Amino acid sequence: MRNSGLFNDHVKRLLGCLAGGVVLALMVGNQEGVQRDFGYAFRAAIFSPRLVVFLGFGLALFVAITYWSRISPYFVRPGARPLAAGAAAVVASYGLLHWTDSNQVTGGKLGALSSAVSGTDGISSFTRTFFGSVVPGTPWLLLVVVVALGVVSLVLRLPVLAWLAAGLGLLVGVWGYIAQSAVSDYLKTADHSTGAQVAILGYAAIASGCFVIARSQTDQADTVGFIERVFGWRPGFPLAVLGTAVGLVALLTATWFSPADRNPHLSGMTNLFSGEGLSAISSAYLSWLVWVIFVVALALAFAATYLSRQAFSWASIVIGLGAVVLTLTTMHEFSSIGGKSGFDGANGPWQNIGAGPWMLCGAFTMFAGAGWIALRQGRRVDPAAPTVVAKAGSNLNQVLIIVVLAGALFYPPTATQFWQTVIVAEIGIYVLLAIGLNVVVGWAGLLDLGFIAFYAIGSYTTAYLTGTLPIKPPDWLHLTPLAAIPFAIVICLLAGLALGAPTLRLRGDYLAIVTLGFGEIIRIVAVNADKVTNGPKGAFGIPQPVIHLGPIHIQWGQSALQFWYLLLVLIGVTVLLFNRLEHSRLGRAWAAIREDEVAAQATGINTTRVKLLAFAIGASTSGVAGVFFASQIGYINPDNFLLNNSILVVAYVVFGGMGSLPGAIAGAATLTWLPEFLKDQVPAEDRQMWIGAVILLMMIFRPAGLIPAKRRAAELSGFDGVKSAETVAVPAGEGM
Amino acid sequence: MNDFMNFVILGLTRGSMYALIALGYTLVYGVLQLINFAHSEVFMSGAFGSYLVIQSVVTDGSSPPWFAVVGIIVLGLGSGAITGAAVAWSLERVAYRPLRRRGAPKLAFLISAIGASFFLSQLAGKLFNRLNNNSFPTYFNLNKHVIDIGGVTVSLVQLIIIVSALLMMLFLDLLVSKTKLGRSIRGVAEDAPTAALMGIDIDKTISRTFVIGGALGGAAGFLFGTAFFFSNTMGFIPSVKAFAAAVLGGIGNIRGAMLGGLLLGMIEAIVPTFPWYKPGFIGTAWTDVVAFVVLVLVLIVRPSGILGERLGRAA
Repeated sequence: MRNSGLFNDHVKRLLGCLAGGVVLALMVGNQEGVQRDFGYAFRAAIFSPRLVVFLGFGLALFVAITYWSRISPYFVRPGARPLAAGAAAVVASYGLLHWTDSNQVTGGKLGALSSAVSGTDGISSFTRTFFGSVVPGTPWLLLVVVVALGVVSLVLRLPVLAWLAAGLGLLVGVWGYIAQSAVSDYLKTADHSTGAQVAILGYAAIASGCFVIARSQTDQADTVGFIERVFGWRPGFPLAVLGTAVGLVALLTATWFSPADRNPHLSGMTNLFSGEGLSAISSAYLSWLVWVIFVVALALAFAATYLSRQAFSWASIVIGLGAVVLTLTTMHEFSSIGGKSGFDGANGPWQNIGAGPWMLCGAFTMFAGAGWIALRQGRRVDPAAPTVVAKAGSNLNQVLIIVVLAGALFYPPTATQFWQTVIVAEIGIYVLLAIGLNVVVGWAGLLDLGFIAFYAIGSYTTAYLTGTLPIKPPDWLHLTPLAAIPFAIVICLLAGLALGAPTLRLRGDYLAIVTLGFGEIIRIVAVNADKVTNGPKGAFGIPQPVIHLGPIHIQWGQSALQFWYLLLVLIGVTVLLFNRLEHSRLGRAWAAIREDEVAAQATGINTTRVKLLAFAIGASTSGVAGVFFASQIGYINPDNFLLNNSILVVAYVVFGGMGSLPGAIAGAATLTWLPEFLKDQVPAEDRQMWIGAVILLMMIFRPAGLIPAKRRAAELSGFDGVKSAETVAVPAGEGM
Repeated sequence: MNDFMNFVILGLTRGSMYALIALGYTLVYGVLQLINFAHSEVFMSGAFGSYLVIQSVVTDGSSPPWFAVVGIIVLGLGSGAITGAAVAWSLERVAYRPLRRRGAPKLAFLISAIGASFFLSQLAGKLFNRLNNNSFPTYFNLNKHVIDIGGVTVSLVQLIIIVSALLMMLFLDLLVSKTKLGRSIRGVAEDAPTAALMGIDIDKTISRTFVIGGALGGAAGFLFGTAFFFSNTMGFIPSVKAFAAAVLGGIGNIRGAMLGGLLLGMIEAIVPTFPWYKPGFIGTAWTDVVAFVVLVLVLIVRPSGILGERLGRAA
């Protein structure tokens, strides 16, 4: 009986895996159904030799699951995981990412570039060999060789082979990087592709994995301990190292100006701008000062982190931030001159700047950040206080915060126009919405499926106050969009209260349907109340934000980039406020009603008031997002506020990790980035299908989300270990 | 008055379809305390599955004898039900069971179901087509008035929908209240760990509950497709309504779902008969608003639906 049960399990698993292969065959490819013949796409997907490949995937999966117990001991050996991650990164870079942005290469991926390059004469044979002029498919071949060497050395424990793999991996990575830069110089285009960078990072990971394989003979990798040692050793030290690497790339290999045309590195800048009327300090900066500042900032950052002296920390912060300001003024100056002379059709400052100076700004920010971390940790020296582990964790978080901040500040200017728009109109706005919804869903545990309604209310409030709706505001209330923010917040607060007050007696799922209904009601009113909202046509001509405050005059509207910095300020303020909120009395009250409402009530929490506050605070965030959206895009109509969007925001929050602020941000950013990324990978209509699949897989394999909240993580793994399958079969009485 | 009665019949037709879908929500809610957001795609797949069968047995514009029409409709209901059941079963297998094993938080189930819903609806779009005007072959006169009492008319397709929906609901009611399977479903709904102690296989029961709900939803997909059009995105709106209906009647409660579905259909249908109804003011465009306002009002008075909540208690 037992034996046949095992056999049955295997058969079931095999059938499941093969079925998965068939589904994958249906998903992948360009076949599209047609109305005349419902079986067309099915036949195209199934009755072709390629089905064998997908069934092969299914079979491989079956084998992997069945023999996992044999494989897993190797997989936890030291070095295995960096090796696997690096290989995955390189595969992704080869298969998915752009290697050039030139429109001479269709698609811009490695395959297309390879075939274009191998037949071109003007490129050095060193480069052409990498792209496969001698042996077709050289990049893939090299990857296979390196990874195979690494795996063999891992399994057989051969340090020599591991050293070989590490060295070869590094060489291949550098070769690919140089080859790609050579091609990009040859093609003379503004290059924003990430393929070669990801590939070199992937190879670096492979090499470090092989290095570990060569050095360590233990059976079990200690990744957590390794991270703790690295980040706990000297607070902020890793950040200083990272800053050095980024800074060196910026100073040595990155383009500083006019990336499409002249492509000068830092060394070529002085030549390019000599005699163009650059001020003394800027020309000094470009020729030698930048190096001096870089070395000083670097030295101070290392001194501050290594010696933990407050004076060094302060100096590092001041020099780092000062260097950022100096770099920015220099950029402004030389790009103004470039604008005046009309390089590449530029007509003003801040145009045509290459990635170099922005990366350098990022590096200086990291040096300042390293000083800041050293300062914070230095103050906390207290022999009785937290253990090394806790310190390491918080160090890691601080490093990540600084890196994300530097990226948010200085990455978008180096992105293409298209990605800048995506970053503002999709990623940024939904991040703000997800932060707001996280309060309602993640912290207070109230499932709100009509969240987009508040966003709509914020947008329509802006349209009303700027006088773009059929019904006009009184003259004294005719405002610019930024001045509309407080009004939108108040109105959304009131709307949140109006929705919340009658419905908060309801439990989870009842509340869900009522909020869903509320969202639909708002949308239908917007569609139908022609005289107030201009019906399906919506409002257009909503002005862009302006600030006239004494001597300061800022007018938004020329580029997405400006809106990005405005949005960054809004997100930053919200995150700071909400971060304080999470552990405040109110935040703890939310956690209490989420976990057990009755018990919370018994401890004296006014549940209605607390829930209402959650609704109102979440709604007001959404209102701010609405104001921003309306003034950025300039026109709104009810189609911007569909039920689907509400559901998607909930999905973002849960995908990222319910109740965790970084999680909500990461979830929204990932899931709004994904469709744009998928544009290059799959037919446009299929994107939603893939996103659905990604969400599904994420929930199956990581139900707590990308970055789980600490409290949630504890709940999931259980305080008392894993329960039996029977008792968890029905999750009874869990807080929503 | 005639107008009113005609609208009531329209409401009954619409409501019985809502009720069939709502039953899927309510059954799953009963055993898992979860909203199965992917039920809309079960409904959709029922329409596509039955279409594939129907179009292979009957050509467009043919007029078979009445018993053949009845046979084809039964075939359509059956194939829709089987497709729906198969999709619901795999849904439970893929999107629910792994999460149950991990003891995931409730919202994770919701999101995995939403992911599955996106996936299924777009996969159907890729596989068949993404147009929204697919229709079944016509093999009988849908709009023939079979009953006509002083201006109150019932068309053939309305009769088919109401009768088959009522039959299926009756069948389900008997299944849940009289059979062993029904008893185990009620047991799991009442108290899963205790039911497990009494020797009920929880996994199997949950799986079968999905299959039953899926079969009803799939059959509803066939009925909907016969009466209107079908497409890969057809599931969304009727399912939101059906979910509202299930909540209206008291989610987790089978008779509640039936009542809620019929009631919601009626409310929607009779909105235009209100005395203050003027086209352009409370037009059909406002139907959804009225429906949701009624829902909110009912829930304010009875926070757990008209008939109260649990599957175990009410059925």
